[in-house]
Amino acid sequence: MTIDDSARERLEGFVRDKVAADHLSISRLERMTGGAVQQNWAVDANVEGGTFAGPQRWVMRIDAPAKVAESLSRAEEFRVLEAMRRAEVLAPRALWLCDDAAVMGRSFFIMERLPGVAAGHKVARDAALVPDRKRLARELAVNLARIHTLTPASAGLEFLKTRLARDNVAHYRAYLDTLRESHSVLEWGLRWCEISAPEREEVTFIHRDYRTGNYLVAEGKMSGVLDWEFVGYGNPLEDVGWLFAKCWRFGQHHYPVGGVAQADDFLREYEAASGRRVDSAALVYWQVMAHVRWAVIALQQRERHRSGIEPSLELALTGHILSDLELEILELTERQ
Amino acid sequence: MNNLPSGADLLSIARDTLLSELLPLASGEARYALLMVANAMAIAAREAEAGDAPVKSAVARLEKLYGETLSGDALESRLSEYERRLTQDIRAGVFDTHDDRQRALLAHLRESVLDRLRISNPKSFKSEKP
Repeated sequence: MTIDDSARERLEGFVRDKVAADHLSISRLERMTGGAVQQNWAVDANVEGGTFAGPQRWVMRIDAPAKVAESLSRAEEFRVLEAMRRAEVLAPRALWLCDDAAVMGRSFFIMERLPGVAAGHKVARDAALVPDRKRLARELAVNLARIHTLTPASAGLEFLKTRLARDNVAHYRAYLDTLRESHSVLEWGLRWCEISAPEREEVTFIHRDYRTGNYLVAEGKMSGVLDWEFVGYGNPLEDVGWLFAKCWRFGQHHYPVGGVAQADDFLREYEAASGRRVDSAALVYWQVMAHVRWAVIALQQRERHRSGIEPSLELALTGHILSDLELEILELTERQ
Repeated sequence: MNNLPSGADLLSIARDTLLSELLPLASGEARYALLMVANAMAIAAREAEAGDAPVKSAVARLEKLYGETLSGDALESRLSEYERRLTQDIRAGVFDTHDDRQRALLAHLRESVLDRLRISNPKSFKSEKP
């Protein structure tokens, strides 16, 4: 997608009205990396008068042409960001939502652009970026605990669905049933998740993509959590398992927490902040679920290539990470 | 008989050329794309080299697991048939108890994964404990 001069002028007009500015000009409007599902555009603007006078750095979040069924709409994501702000979670502040397709052709919103680096391999490996791993572990823990303070009753996000452990199993099986070939290792992992599922589960708001690569680090500190399009209601420990999963350690396996920190440094703080206990069996359980989920997503990406809908070498190669995920499923389940 | 060198040989020398002569000229996104191309070529070469050995051994393991031999069809379709059955049985709880059957299943699953890893990503295979 490109943005022509007239679209840029409509965008300027939209924001100018929102901030009651005398004058607003966008000096930079560039596609940012990442975001296959939604596009992120860096927006730099100079504003004269009104409520946001001065130089501004924003991000425009707009749907990519191809939609992914499971992700939220921009209007829903906007409300999620507002709720996160109220829960004092470190996240970009949502500023203005535009549902009028006449402006940019699709709905979009503007949010603040936080400083920092998100790229997983940098956050996990660059000691200058993360000089104090214990500190990052604590920030990750406190923020996740805050995310998990919201419940279906308190969050006011009625459009979100609830999916607990057994619902996840059914959901992933339903996807596997649409494929022509069988995936016996994933079936084993799913059966294991089914019979080992917790008897009772707490239900909270969960992020569903809380991992290294999806939060920003600036000057040694966590500056914000990104990628809010897969949120829902579920077992809060699902987020912990996803954060710990081997597939998100960027090769830094001596740091089980997302390749950035030791387990105890995170767990102690998360347990203290949330009042929740994370026992080792639950941690293994949700790591198995994490690998099954990532395997299902890898299959979906591979199929986007194979079906001819979106021929892409990157998507094609995603099919070849499957066996790494499967091996970890076997390692984790056989240890039990 | 096709002309020589073989497809596998061509893939290998094409990949070497790409890495030694083209990669140094590339930067940024082009470099990333070239590395993906090199990876795809390596996977294709390893797949060609492995031939039908992984399928053969998977079918042999499943024949043993089920104590019967599916007759007739080509190797690939026999494997698909076994795998379909395996899926149904796993979901139905046939392998839930810690017994010889479960051990045989897990041994089969592990061998299958390792055979695929040897093709898709032998680097992580090497880092595995023996």
